[in-house]
Amino acid sequence: MRTALFLILAALMPGQALAANQVALDNSVFIERVMTDAAGKQRVLLEEPKVVVPGDKLLFVLNYRNAGAQPADKFVITNPLPSAVRFADAGDTQPLVSIDGGRAWGRLGELTVQQADGTRRAAQPADVTHIRWAFQKPIPAGASGKLMFRGVVK
Amino acid sequence: MTSKLTYMGTIGLAAFSCVAAAPAFAAAGTTAGTQIINTATVNYQVGGIAQGSQNASNTIMVDRRVELLVEEDGTTTTEVSPGQTNAVTTFRLTNKTNEILDFALTASQISGIAAAHGGTDSFDVTNVRIYRDNPAGAGVGTYDASDTLVAYADEVGIDASIRLFVVADIPAGLGTNAVAGVRLTATAAEGGTAGSPGALVTQTAGANTAGKDTVFADAAGVTDAARDGSHSDDDDYTVKTATLTVTKSSRVVSDLVNGTSNPKMIPGAVIEYCIAVANATGGVAATSVAITDSVPTQLTFVPSTIKLNGTVTGTTCDFNGTAGGSYAAPVVSGTLPTINPGQTLTLVFQATVN
Repeated sequence: MRTALFLILAALMPGQALAANQVALDNSVFIERVMTDAAGKQRVLLEEPKVVVPGDKLLFVLNYRNAGAQPADKFVITNPLPSAVRFADAGDTQPLVSIDGGRAWGRLGELTVQQADGTRRAAQPADVTHIRWAFQKPIPAGASGKLMFRGVVK
Repeated sequence: MTSKLTYMGTIGLAAFSCVAAAPAFAAAGTTAGTQIINTATVNYQVGGIAQGSQNASNTIMVDRRVELLVEEDGTTTTEVSPGQTNAVTTFRLTNKTNEILDFALTASQISGIAAAHGGTDSFDVTNVRIYRDNPAGAGVGTYDASDTLVAYADEVGIDASIRLFVVADIPAGLGTNAVAGVRLTATAAEGGTAGSPGALVTQTAGANTAGKDTVFADAAGVTDAARDGSHSDDDDYTVKTATLTVTKSSRVVSDLVNGTSNPKMIPGAVIEYCIAVANATGGVAATSVAITDSVPTQLTFVPSTIKLNGTVTGTTCDFNGTAGGSYAAPVVSGTLPTINPGQTLTLVFQATVN
């Protein structure tokens, strides 16, 4: 797994309020493959993304942890969808999504897309450009969690 | 809108990590070698003060899925005549790989097995060649002078489909419904250099590499296996010819003693000959059917008695037709312009017994 972890520290932040690296975020991806075992049962296997070709189902997993000593408030994780990935679902993690490049946000079921003839249709998973999870409660010090979403390689 | 969404609006300006410009997505999918970079960003506050955002990314590379399709273009056999040159069968080759590829091409002949459109392969065509249809301009879809004789398909684009003509000569002396099957097989080869054939694509063996790997995903063709980087299809030629049979009959028209009442075959009697040419059913029309008949030395041709395109009733000559033909002693000649399958036409002439 080639996972790069980047830390970007905003240079303009006031020093005394900056708790560097207080929150840890890890981003990983797996391929979901449906295999039929010897008994004929279908099993979903998660594999490391070795061979990835168009049509493969990807499972993106985000692990977060508040490594600091204080609660982290207004905790928001934003994940723009890679252009080569079509959004499928986010399980039961209930994210907000954007279908217009991150300008407007809402639940997927509440969003509509204007069509060429002026009418609006319900937004589909394939319309999603960004995913965002906004936590209403602070993340206590030391707490961690996991978010996920699925996509398909275009 | 919920209160949370209003809240989202205030932080909606959080910087997103940059994503590469969107490549075009065709049915073949994301182009091989494309990197999928997924980046998540966290924004949060501690003690009411916004903290620096943090990103986490991972990168995967889209591998090459080799998929190709060879299909006969059309649903019928190519009807040919014995001895015909440049008889054409048409195929389509579609590159469903997520990369531009060359394709090695082989036109082969099936032998003794069922052909694509019924019948059993019973002969081989000769001088088999492959032409690539001109992609634009006049004559697209038709074998013509603007097509290119090829040994391989050069630089076939992602999701592109090209038309290929298999062109062959038909041996002479074949009967109606003789069948020759031809098979076009295409095998994926490396693209990238226009004008030269690439090496055959090989599937990445063993473990995944960090770079672009290759996976064969093609279906089985008529003979090649699934996931072998090749695909094939059959088409066939069916001979349609005219099978002619000739029968000759005669009657005594008159003699010098009885006139036309029960005339007998005595010197001075007028004999009428009928040469009937039948074209068998199931074939094609015969055209320009030339008939010659030498008048025996015991007979003398009666000038201007040749009649062409007469008919028969059952197998009996009607001794009718329209005037025509020619006589150059001792040979009577005439040409029937067209005899359709199942039709019988005649040439009739008269002579007197010496």
